[in-house]
Amino acid sequence: MSDNPHPSTARAIAKLIVHYPKTQVAISLLLMFTLFMALPMLYKDTRSDAFLADDNPALVYRDKVKEQFGLSDPIVLAVINTSDNGVFNPTSLSLIQWLSDEISSLENINADRVTSLSTENNITGSDDGMDVESFFEPDISTQQEADIVWNKVSDFPLYMGNLVAHDKQATLIVAELLDVKQVEDTYQQILDIVARAPNGKHDEIHVAGEGAIAGYLGSYIDADAQRLNPLAGIIITIIILFAFRRVSTGILSNVIIAASVLMTLSIMALNGIPFFVITNALPVILIGISVADSIHVYSHYFELQAKHPSEDKKELIIQTIEEMWRPITLTTLTTIAGFMGMYFAAYMPPFKYFGLYTAVGVAIAWFYSLVFLPAALAIIQPSASKQMREFAKSNRLDKFSRTMVVLGRISLQYPKVTVGIFSIIIISGIFATSHLVVNEDRIKTFHTSETLYQADAAINAHLNGTNNLDVVIEAKEAEALFEPDHLKKMEALQNFALTLPNVQGATSIVDYLKQMNRSLNGGDKYSYQLPDNKALIAQYFLIYSASSDPTDFDEEVDYDYRIANIKLTLNKGSYVDTQKVVTQLNDYIKARFNNEEITATLSGRVNINYHWIKDLGRSHFVGLAISMFLVWAVSSLLFGSLTAGTFTIIPVSSSILLVYSAMVVLDIDLGIGTSMFASVAIGLGVDFSIHTIDRLRSLYQTHNGDWDLTLQELYPSTGRALFLNYLAIACGFGVLISSKVVPLNNFGTIVVVSVSTSFLASMSFLPALIKLTKPTFISGYQPSEKTISRRWIRIPSIILLVAVAGNALVNQPALASEGEAGKTMRSDNQLPSAGVVIAKINNVDDGEHATRNLTMTLTDKRGKKRVRETIGYRKYFGKEKRTILFYKKPTNVKGTAFLTFDYPDADKDDDQWLYLPALRKVRRISAADRGDYFLGTDFTYEDIKLEGKVDTKDYDFETIRSEVLVQESSPPIQTVVIRGVAKSKLTAKELGYGKTEFWVNVDTWLIAKSNYWDPKGRLLKTLTISDVSRIDGILTRHRMTINNHKTGHTSEFLFSNVDYKAPVSDGLFTKRAMKKGK
Amino acid sequence: MKMSPWVMRIQLGLLLSSSVFVLSGLVFPSLAVADYSASLEQELALDSSDHKQKFEMLFTPEWNIELSDKISMTFIGQVRWDSTKKLSNPEGSHYSAPGSYASANGALYYSDSSEVSIREWYIDTESLGAYWRIGKQQVVWGQADGLKVLDVVNPQSYREFILDDFEDSRIPLWMVNTEIPIGENSNLQILWIPDLTYHAFAEPGTEYEVSSPLFRPALPEGVPLVSFHEDKPSSPIQDSDFGVQYATFYQGWDLTLNYLYHYQDTPILYQQVNTNGVALSSEYERNHLAGFTASNAFGSFTLRTEVGYRSDTYHLMQSQPNQIPAHNGIHRSSEISSVIGLDWQGLEDTMISIQWFQSHLTRHNSNVIRPQNNHIMSLLLKRSFINETWDLEILALHGFDQQDGSVQTKLRYMLESNLSLWVGSDTFYGNKNGLFGQFNNKDRVIFGAEWSF
Repeated sequence: MSDNPHPSTARAIAKLIVHYPKTQVAISLLLMFTLFMALPMLYKDTRSDAFLADDNPALVYRDKVKEQFGLSDPIVLAVINTSDNGVFNPTSLSLIQWLSDEISSLENINADRVTSLSTENNITGSDDGMDVESFFEPDISTQQEADIVWNKVSDFPLYMGNLVAHDKQATLIVAELLDVKQVEDTYQQILDIVARAPNGKHDEIHVAGEGAIAGYLGSYIDADAQRLNPLAGIIITIIILFAFRRVSTGILSNVIIAASVLMTLSIMALNGIPFFVITNALPVILIGISVADSIHVYSHYFELQAKHPSEDKKELIIQTIEEMWRPITLTTLTTIAGFMGMYFAAYMPPFKYFGLYTAVGVAIAWFYSLVFLPAALAIIQPSASKQMREFAKSNRLDKFSRTMVVLGRISLQYPKVTVGIFSIIIISGIFATSHLVVNEDRIKTFHTSETLYQADAAINAHLNGTNNLDVVIEAKEAEALFEPDHLKKMEALQNFALTLPNVQGATSIVDYLKQMNRSLNGGDKYSYQLPDNKALIAQYFLIYSASSDPTDFDEEVDYDYRIANIKLTLNKGSYVDTQKVVTQLNDYIKARFNNEEITATLSGRVNINYHWIKDLGRSHFVGLAISMFLVWAVSSLLFGSLTAGTFTIIPVSSSILLVYSAMVVLDIDLGIGTSMFASVAIGLGVDFSIHTIDRLRSLYQTHNGDWDLTLQELYPSTGRALFLNYLAIACGFGVLISSKVVPLNNFGTIVVVSVSTSFLASMSFLPALIKLTKPTFISGYQPSEKTISRRWIRIPSIILLVAVAGNALVNQPALASEGEAGKTMRSDNQLPSAGVVIAKINNVDDGEHATRNLTMTLTDKRGKKRVRETIGYRKYFGKEKRTILFYKKPTNVKGTAFLTFDYPDADKDDDQWLYLPALRKVRRISAADRGDYFLGTDFTYEDIKLEGKVDTKDYDFETIRSEVLVQESSPPIQTVVIRGVAKSKLTAKELGYGKTEFWVNVDTWLIAKSNYWDPKGRLLKTLTISDVSRIDGILTRHRMTINNHKTGHTSEFLFSNVDYKAPVSDGLFTKRAMKKGK
Repeated sequence: MKMSPWVMRIQLGLLLSSSVFVLSGLVFPSLAVADYSASLEQELALDSSDHKQKFEMLFTPEWNIELSDKISMTFIGQVRWDSTKKLSNPEGSHYSAPGSYASANGALYYSDSSEVSIREWYIDTESLGAYWRIGKQQVVWGQADGLKVLDVVNPQSYREFILDDFEDSRIPLWMVNTEIPIGENSNLQILWIPDLTYHAFAEPGTEYEVSSPLFRPALPEGVPLVSFHEDKPSSPIQDSDFGVQYATFYQGWDLTLNYLYHYQDTPILYQQVNTNGVALSSEYERNHLAGFTASNAFGSFTLRTEVGYRSDTYHLMQSQPNQIPAHNGIHRSSEISSVIGLDWQGLEDTMISIQWFQSHLTRHNSNVIRPQNNHIMSLLLKRSFINETWDLEILALHGFDQQDGSVQTKLRYMLESNLSLWVGSDTFYGNKNGLFGQFNNKDRVIFGAEWSF
């Protein structure tokens, strides 16, 4: 019953597949496994910064500000006590002291940047001028003492609301992170500290802040996805098993799911695209979509098999493919079109890639459903279930079919009512669209039962808030900020900000100056104002720094008094609540602040969030329009009729409009999660109408133009398949409803609603409409090979055209809206040049020869350890360095030996040999690309070879600063930091590093710590070196720990029994020695 | 009647080991430092119809003992136990160990389900300016993986055809192995092998019994087999093998020159036809093997080559119906064979290796079953993931003569430092008469675990 007059092409391909099934299956699986190899390269990026392109001006500027003022998204602890004295009682104050100390001692916390009552200083006037001293001493034991503290704090306006609640009941401990990427661990450590804190009876401790959100979000969503994805797979498998009653169908569908999901992730990995927070939804979506194709193949095949049980099964498979390849390909193309719409319209990288790679996954599912699936079926040759055969014999229908027939009967009997109902849906949807609210609040990602959510609410209730907006003031000249005029402008800006909604606090050097002025004028309240004299202001700063830590103002003003920061605190973080603040501040700055000499720029988390949400609404609707147009264009072309294209998108449109109505009624905002639904809904929903129309056309031919019969016949077969298809998708997405991640939950609900509507509309509204209009694209359809193939050619060109247009339309204004930002920030002064430092490093004596035991401990991100014990020897042969390493433990690597000849001539590759005891053979290996990892550790071959020396050929070095390096378990050391930037992209690729920074101990000229960035500029690894001591007069590094931030894997090299004196025989560096194991 | 050979071996083994232990304890009481390690491996193989093909446990203890500064001893034993018996004695008939072992080699104890053997037992010492390794050991020559040109010093066990690890399938021999360093970069190795052990082929009726006509003469139709005679070299001195290898490192090249005067490890099956039928006689023949290897690395590529010339090789000829086989059914020729291998390590954690094996008979006639020129290609793909906790290995071999081949895959996961798990598959395809194709229906899936301690 094929409607194709030249069945040869489709049939020939199907035959090829079915007659060489093993080859096809083997090729498909091989392809799959080959690609899977790339999977480990996939890395995670759950930062909210990831939502903006790396070169987005707002982000670039924010990072510069961070570097300047050392600001990072903090973790905020709140101690809340609702008893009479609030937190100002001895126990609570001791608790604050204890917490501050404990947190400061954490590795990833910047101890200088822990702000709490116990770390901050009071400024008071004294006989000699000004006293800067702590608010309280560690051992407060009486209530009187606590009351004194309250008196002092409440007399210091700067801290009220920001650090201490006006009602005494809450105070904060703000802790900044050293390395934001390790925030997950640090957050956990802080929770551990809180768990063992010596709480008083009424003390509650909350942990919140942007740092905490980022720290928890990643693992929160991961945990959720790890639960949801398998669940979706299981549910869908159950549906398939229930529908077809054959185990093989469930297994094969799962292979297709695996291919589609994992190959897509592999392709992402190969292209260096990270796994973003929203990528978690990708597997669930692909599970739903990829299984739909196989359902249609099964349905058709088993139907044929049930009707013709005696026929050759291979022939039936060929018939199935011949009949089904077209609708499956059609739906694949339209689904791809839908997701490509998202790709073109989205301005945030995670969404762009989400659209693109879902489209890739859909294409993979298509390929596996049409190649792998028939081949596998040809091998297994399953028979239809007994029930199906019996039903076919007696012309009876199963439950799925019966349900559909009933649906058909109702909608065809009352076509006008059906059309009427859906028209109401469409009209109310159009009306609802204008009432949609674009909004996003990161804290609302978490379920309200999460402690983090509650902590955030508690802090926002008692204090100024957890959301930061920074205003960076930049003057042209150094010391310009001593100028009273400039300071007054800042004060005015601060006062303006405080009039804006939700802005609860504003602090800057202005407030400190006021407080100093007041203290020096005898504490008089009226003196709480800016001094009017440049010299006086300069003097204040001098006095302050004389009586306290000179770094106290690092967060507020730079060293030159040229750049300053005004920190605004908001008690609400959602887009709706903050966008006015950002726009009004911007207007104010433009109109009333900026001039030739001084400018202000917004930065900080609230500003970033504003930037990534502000275009969300437009992006959503443009994306929707592009997707809709693409789907319409593709289906018009494929059906060869504009009307057919229009009919195709009617059910989808009605479903989307219904969702809009539902969102308005249920008060769901259009946010990150929800905005994604449209593309998904279109891509999935349109499949139903395409199958319907395609089938109606062939049925119309079969039934010689009998409209009633044509429409009736649609339900038992295609209707059943679509019903199963719908069930699979609805259940797949339905799983998301159980998600604890609120946006995913919303997303799941909405998609289920819209897919249900699309399905219902395709099965009732669409046939009813066709019954009423009797369109010619069904009745007048005369297939011809020529026109069909020409249409297939046109589709890609249309997609391309729309792509280019859509891209231009959406991305231009979004990127151009932000002007130039980020000015140069100063660098450091007199330091030894990089050349000198490197010469000193490379001159450190490392002995003519050495013997040492090396224990390698490899720890993966889950904390699982593998230990390898080796003995190594090194010896210089003139300038040539030879190294040999023998593995001793564990038994499975025992006997492995690794020999290297390292030649002084840089152009000459090293010679390397590996002896594997299992092969009993010394194997010559290529001097592995320098950036390859050394025998499963996180060191590269180059790292190992250099042994702490530096190769100047690869990097351009400069000295960037001097720093006192404080590391765990070793005394602070004075270092200079040199930065190396790879000389070329090629070198960066070869080494695996685009940039490095070395902390060089200026006493020993050994590298004490290094950071390595990958060629794309992401921090990749941190190496720390400890336990340095002299052995036989030679400085020896005993412990090297390298931490791979990308994989969470750590390698520790522990050297012991180091000996530079024991003779090392030349014979050790031979292949014979490798074989002998010593 | 002789004493049963295994009783003799046990006694020999016990006597030798106890005396060495006692002596070493007496002579070097304070110096003896023993280092013990062992591995326990369990592997399950399922064939294509879901039946157990093997369920094998291997226990391999190893002792390394420093007897003095200059003398050390290594002992590696092995216990094998496989209850399925599919690879040893599927019919459950009377079982005797393969006859290709010399009396001093072979298992100490065996039954059709288990075997206890000394894998290796040797002493390393340095004396007279040379390094000596004396005892039962494995010596591997050549640069090729899997395809053997020069790697014929030790015979092999084919009870699992080529599927077993080389480490386990290679049969260690008693020998004297001397290495004399020459200058900084060169080495001369001299081998004397009085151990008369040869290839052990799969027992009749077991899974990997050879059926290809390349190796198994098809008797002329209607002619009964009247007798079967086996002849094995018997004098450890006269019949011993002798080998020399000169290895050097020159201008970045690893080079070796090899020579081996040996009995070939595969018996030749001569057919003598008389009026009553055919008499088969299995005999081992001498051969001179000369060859060289060269390897070097170029960027991410490593080139490995190996060439061998064998003076006397013997090949089965086709039997013509109702005709007396000429030359007793055997064709004799010298053979030149070589392997060229190219490894590529350009991609992180990955190695791709291609080898081309060819062999050429200098004399040929149309009745010889194997072609004059034979070619085999191999493709090896190895990749490790996540800091070498996962390893994937795919090895494909394809023979051009019979268009047959095999594909072996293995995915290994290191659960702990000392515990690894793996799953793999071994498949064959192609012509039933081919080297690989003969096992076309012996595809299998394997699951294994190894614990070392």
